[in-house]
Amino acid sequence: MASGSCTNGDPVRVDFRFRRELAEKIEGNLASFCYQCGACVGDCPATTYGATFNPRELMLKVLYGLSDELMVTDSILWQCANCYNCHERCPQEVKPVEVIISMKNMLADRGIYPDAVRKVIETFEQTGRTTPLSPAVDRQRAKYGLSPLPPVPMEEIQKLIEPASIEGDEA
Amino acid sequence: MTRVAFFPGCLIPARHPPMEFAIRYCMRNLGVELVDLEGASCCPDPIYFKSKDKLSWLAVAARNLTLAEDLGLDVVTNCSGCTATLSESYHLLQDEQLRAKVNERLARIGREYRGTSRVRHIVAFVRDEVGYETIRESLVTPLDGLKIAIHYGCHLLKPSKIMQVDDPNNPSVLEKLVSALGAVPVRHRNWYLCCGKACQIGDIPTNMMHGLLGTVNDEQADILCMICPTCFGQFDHGQLKVMKQFDEEAYTPPIYYFQLLAFAQGVPYEELGIERHRLKPECLRRFTSVAAEERKVSTDGAYQEP
Ligand code: SF4
Ligand code: SF4
Repeated sequence: MASGSCTNGDPVRVDFRFRRELAEKIEGNLASFCYQCGACVGDCPATTYGATFNPRELMLKVLYGLSDELMVTDSILWQCANCYNCHERCPQEVKPVEVIISMKNMLADRGIYPDAVRKVIETFEQTGRTTPLSPAVDRQRAKYGLSPLPPVPMEEIQKLIEPASIEGDEA
Repeated sequence: MTRVAFFPGCLIPARHPPMEFAIRYCMRNLGVELVDLEGASCCPDPIYFKSKDKLSWLAVAARNLTLAEDLGLDVVTNCSGCTATLSESYHLLQDEQLRAKVNERLARIGREYRGTSRVRHIVAFVRDEVGYETIRESLVTPLDGLKIAIHYGCHLLKPSKIMQVDDPNNPSVLEKLVSALGAVPVRHRNWYLCCGKACQIGDIPTNMMHGLLGTVNDEQADILCMICPTCFGQFDHGQLKVMKQFDEEAYTPPIYYFQLLAFAQGVPYEELGIERHRLKPECLRRFTSVAAEERKVSTDGAYQEP
């Protein structure tokens, strides 16, 4: 089930370009330590409550570099609930959830992520918060004796989230 | 008074001001001074912005931590998502290479991350620095006999090596915090299950919530208590949605722990912000005490110092 080209018997050509790109992301390279034991599967709620999601299979796809199955609109990666059970259970410290998030970074580099995700990211990039300020929010706060929320110094945030500059920082 | 830097995050201050009010009220009663961090941003969230670019996520988190470093204080968080981001950043930034990379970003705004401020979830902070006995002593209206189902949520406990809050396979901190109120904690069978909020596709989150609520309702507790504002949303309007979708009538009204503590410390039910809940813990009304009614409320609704 959902194994796609992992197990159909044909020889698999490992896509090293995909693997190299993933290794650039923070903790993206950890899948290399996966020995396919399946300890991450039993407590994965996306496996229990979904039909096709399986963190062990995802790590196998990563090892093969099956980019066509992973780097797509509505990728199966978005079924992960970010519960960190796999991180807790993995004897190899693969942190499957972190590998999944690193692949989401690759999806973002390609400009493909679900609308709901895009919306929250945009709110953060514009306001420095994921839940935006409004006069109604401040009125609610005043009702409980809380001061209005101060704006976030956005010049600083924008400077921080700009990719590495051509002057070569982060070289 | 113990002083700590307070990192309230986005969700509680903007969407759930009554939770923030309750935290500030309770912590003052428990002898803790919360120092606000001027210029703080979103932590940033460990689900959405982290999905875009981990390095930028880490750089913004590091900036938030430097604000506490400037004050020489540890950070206390009240949202499990903020705790996940800030604790993980603290952990990742122990790696020298990564720290150097992040500090190159921070140099753009004249800041440097040093790693001198620890991050602690408010639950762990209260357990370790305040203690259950101090909670007991602070009560005006003990919640004797109230049966409270508990939900830990994911990011308070896991990954345990990074969060360092409690045993992820058999935690006790919430049970003890609830017992300190005089109430009776109950652990439902699916206690370790995720609330499903972060899952972005299909029926999985609804099915997850349905599985979770089934075992919560089996316990027939008076209320369901949690310490994460995201879980709260799932248990409030999310629970209502699941009830409608599966045509079920049983439910357990949710409440955030510090609102419960504020109530037990004497804030009247009407002042807890419950009117904004979709599912209301009306059972609390049976505890309304004379002491609570005598408490003075100023004209704008803010509480005067006890
Ligand atoms: S638990 Fe770790 S090593 Fe085992 S299959 Fe999952 S990711 Fe691979
Ligand atoms: S973090 Fe994602 S992959 Fe890991 S156990 Fe949770 S839902 Fe499954």
